[in-house]
Amino acid sequence: MSESLALLREHLLATPMPAIALTLAAFLAGNRLFLRVNRPSGCPAILIAAMLLAASLALLGIDYDDYRAGAGWLMLLLGPATVALGVPLFQQLPRIRALWRPILISLPPAAMLAAFYSVGLAWVLGASPEVLASLAPKSVTAPIAIGITEQLGGVIPLMMGGLLITGVMSTACVGVLARYLAIRDPRVLGFVLGVNGHVIGTVRAFELGPTAGAFASLGMSLTGIFSALFLPLAWRLLGL
Amino acid sequence: MPALRGFLWLVGFLLLGQALVWSLRLPVSPGVVGMLAMTLWLVLRGRVSEDIQVASQSLIAVLAMLIMPGVVGVFFIAEAFAGQWLAVGVALVLGTLLSVTTTLWLMLRFMPKDATDE
Repeated sequence: MSESLALLREHLLATPMPAIALTLAAFLAGNRLFLRVNRPSGCPAILIAAMLLAASLALLGIDYDDYRAGAGWLMLLLGPATVALGVPLFQQLPRIRALWRPILISLPPAAMLAAFYSVGLAWVLGASPEVLASLAPKSVTAPIAIGITEQLGGVIPLMMGGLLITGVMSTACVGVLARYLAIRDPRVLGFVLGVNGHVIGTVRAFELGPTAGAFASLGMSLTGIFSALFLPLAWRLLGL
Repeated sequence: MPALRGFLWLVGFLLLGQALVWSLRLPVSPGVVGMLAMTLWLVLRGRVSEDIQVASQSLIAVLAMLIMPGVVGVFFIAEAFAGQWLAVGVALVLGTLLSVTTTLWLMLRFMPKDATDE
């Protein structure tokens, strides 16, 4: 009996379906739990979902590489989803156009510092060049960050983990600072969320409203484009 | 079938992005080039069709789910970077706190004050 069960398990795991089912289930359960506990700003749905997913993979004894191979089918949708961000961007274009000057002034230092603070801190604490390269694109949206990490010689799973923590930290920090400093401007909050917290910040910004969402999409894409050009150059200059 | 038609548009623009990135050797991801092309095309057309609206809205709603497979990898590489987790943790937590504060300061400094509430 247990032998045939093991065979069945092996048979099912040979297809990408278990990985896809687990990801969907963890995402939905994470969202549900998030709503159940009244949307804590320090622990967004994605963090709950990721922990649930990691726990179920460990419990079911599924190897991460096997899981990743299956779930890669889902990640394919990341491409069209990035293209889809052009729609809110277009819809908010009049508002964005009116503010091109502050946006263009703020973006380059903000995107550069987002990378430099972390790389600098890690360097001071003695991290290896491999780790530094994985931390550099931490505020960049996943499809671009993967390309940058490969170029700099970083480790993709570590970079993605950094992405998660950065996204979660950014939404938490923005939430706290907005309340503390009484900032309610959706353009400012959205932009800050997108520049620092990439997709996770953008998801949070859309919860705040369409204006915040559009400014977050803008901040996220500009940070992505800018970092993709700037980080490889900076790396070469620093001789890393 | 509006969602499917819209999805085809998105994939079409992604392919365009891929073609541009490859032929011009751009250092940016195809998705971002596709997004910019999509924005430009919408500007030229002046409006968003129902199809594209439906497809993009549903994809944006699950954006966080699409990065989950990559993100959970961090829970499985703990041993590989033993001894560096303090550096990584401090860099991520403190670094993000600093960069959020800086961006916020920059935006408040340069943003005109006339906030239009939604």
